[in-house]
Amino acid sequence: MNEIPVFFLHGLAYAGLLFLVSAGLTLVFGMMNVLNFAHAAMYMLGAYFSYSIMMHFTGQFWLSLMVCPAILFIIGALIERFLLRRVHKFGHVQELLLTFGLAYIITELVKWYWGNYPLAVNIGGFLGSTIQIIGITYPVYRIFIFLCAIFVGTVMALILYKTRLGIILRAAVNDSEMTNTLGVNVPLVFMGVFAFGAALSGFAGVIAGPLLSTFPGMAQEILLDAFVVIVVGGFGSLGGAVVASLLIGQLQSFGVLLFPKLSIALVYLLMAVVLIIKPSGLFGEEQ
Amino acid sequence: MKQKNTSFIIIALFLAGAFMPLILKQYHLNMLTEIIIFALFAVSYNLLLGYAGLLSFGHAMFFGLGAFMTAVAIIHIPGLALWNAILIGVVTTIIAGFVIGSLLLRHKGAYFALLTLAFNALFYAVATKWHSVTGGDDGLSITRPDLSLGFTSISMASLTHFYYLTLIIVGAAIVFCWYFTHTAMGKTVLLMRENEERMKFLGYNTNISRLLLFTFTGAVAGLAGSFYTLHFQFVSISAISVDMTTAVLLMAFVGGTKTFWGPILGAFVYIILQNYLSNITDRWPLFMGFIFVSMVLFIPGGLSEVIMNIRQRLFGKKDNNGGKSAASEEV
Repeated sequence: MNEIPVFFLHGLAYAGLLFLVSAGLTLVFGMMNVLNFAHAAMYMLGAYFSYSIMMHFTGQFWLSLMVCPAILFIIGALIERFLLRRVHKFGHVQELLLTFGLAYIITELVKWYWGNYPLAVNIGGFLGSTIQIIGITYPVYRIFIFLCAIFVGTVMALILYKTRLGIILRAAVNDSEMTNTLGVNVPLVFMGVFAFGAALSGFAGVIAGPLLSTFPGMAQEILLDAFVVIVVGGFGSLGGAVVASLLIGQLQSFGVLLFPKLSIALVYLLMAVVLIIKPSGLFGEEQ
Repeated sequence: MKQKNTSFIIIALFLAGAFMPLILKQYHLNMLTEIIIFALFAVSYNLLLGYAGLLSFGHAMFFGLGAFMTAVAIIHIPGLALWNAILIGVVTTIIAGFVIGSLLLRHKGAYFALLTLAFNALFYAVATKWHSVTGGDDGLSITRPDLSLGFTSISMASLTHFYYLTLIIVGAAIVFCWYFTHTAMGKTVLLMRENEERMKFLGYNTNISRLLLFTFTGAVAGLAGSFYTLHFQFVSISAISVDMTTAVLLMAFVGGTKTFWGPILGAFVYIILQNYLSNITDRWPLFMGFIFVSMVLFIPGGLSEVIMNIRQRLFGKKDNNGGKSAASEEV
């Protein structure tokens, strides 16, 4: 019986992916107070770009891991500068509607260009092999995902709490006008945050490609799980995102093992319970 | 506003609707029935978005619930009267609206939007997995029961008969929604959006008002869903999917959330575009997406804002609230 460690590791891998997606989402939400419905669509773009790159330059996984986030960074910056900033003055509903519309357009464009069917991404080399770990043979790639998540999470935490840039970011969130007066280009900072969030989603997309297949429904699938992570962890809380990702990763993984029919509902059930007991999420500040 | 004028327009619309089966071909009458049903759905959605300022991404759960309950009731209860089938759909959505509303309405803005989306996804997941009841991916086929009026019974097999039923019942529901916006309750909702603190201070329990509104719009969406099932004599999981929410959001927004009639116009434009564009190109959702985003960017008031502006230019009518936000003209 070595099912339990296998499912535990599966859960960790999915938690890693979930964290990569929801970290960008919660960062943008925490900093700019914009809930980006297009985040998962950008994640999907990352996965598709990666697919195309790996088709053209056979199996250059590391290349696409560098290039795709960069492309998404630029796309994110453009979206913030020319679209989001325009509707900001109309209020939150307009911002939500805009990102929702963008998600819709990106999904349709993806269906148009790449087709409405799953594309498999094969990964070769060491990452595609298996390894002996705690007595079982396990794919290296899933462990790689989890390590990536730890790496990204650590870097983000270091930037936010240990660098000058982090101080500026936190100051801009607290009082953007005062920070602006002190000589910081706050609009540029927000553009950077949004673009960084987009780049993170692209990074997550590249990572997701070989794990799950690349298909037009992948955006909505992960979007809902990432939303649940944010609700459970607390809106805008990075630490909350870590804990909630681990929780939901395991819940998804063992849910399939224990209650195959209910596995989808379990996640929402957890969300409903958290909402009733602590509406602001596990680590969220009281509203 | 000019109440008399509006009543006149409503009566004229009903009369025009009554003559439509004489003029239109079967195909177009089919489309018109669909438009009326979706107009009701869009109107109910706009009561949330335009009037209360609540952006919900889960309105399809009520629409779909009404649609599925009607279908399930017709299939499992032999000899069920048409009225009761509709009633079952509406009552279920009232209960669902009340329960979900009391859970979600503690949150506002982005939180609320996100949670409604999650609940819609939950409903969708249940509908997909619960194959024995909902038919899963295959959907459910039904036959429209006859309409019994006590003394006589009218066969609903013909489209014309069903069209008249839709025109009367769904049309009346739309008029009722319009009436609702003029009641004290409707105005409370509107003022709550503008200044909730003050409403609380004046002694209104805003939480209960919001819950009542949410339940009401859910029930109206359920009615629309119920008619959707009866119209197509079929219901599939697409009725309860997030795509359906997207559709109603597009209708309401493209038509204009700042007027009562905007969403009706939006439903009209959406269904017609869907029918004609889908003949020309498979990519029509992409066009709808571009129309939607450019409207968000440039014409937040939707088509009704465009029409109001043109009317103002042509007739020089001064709308005293013209520039102000949503539906304030109704106050």
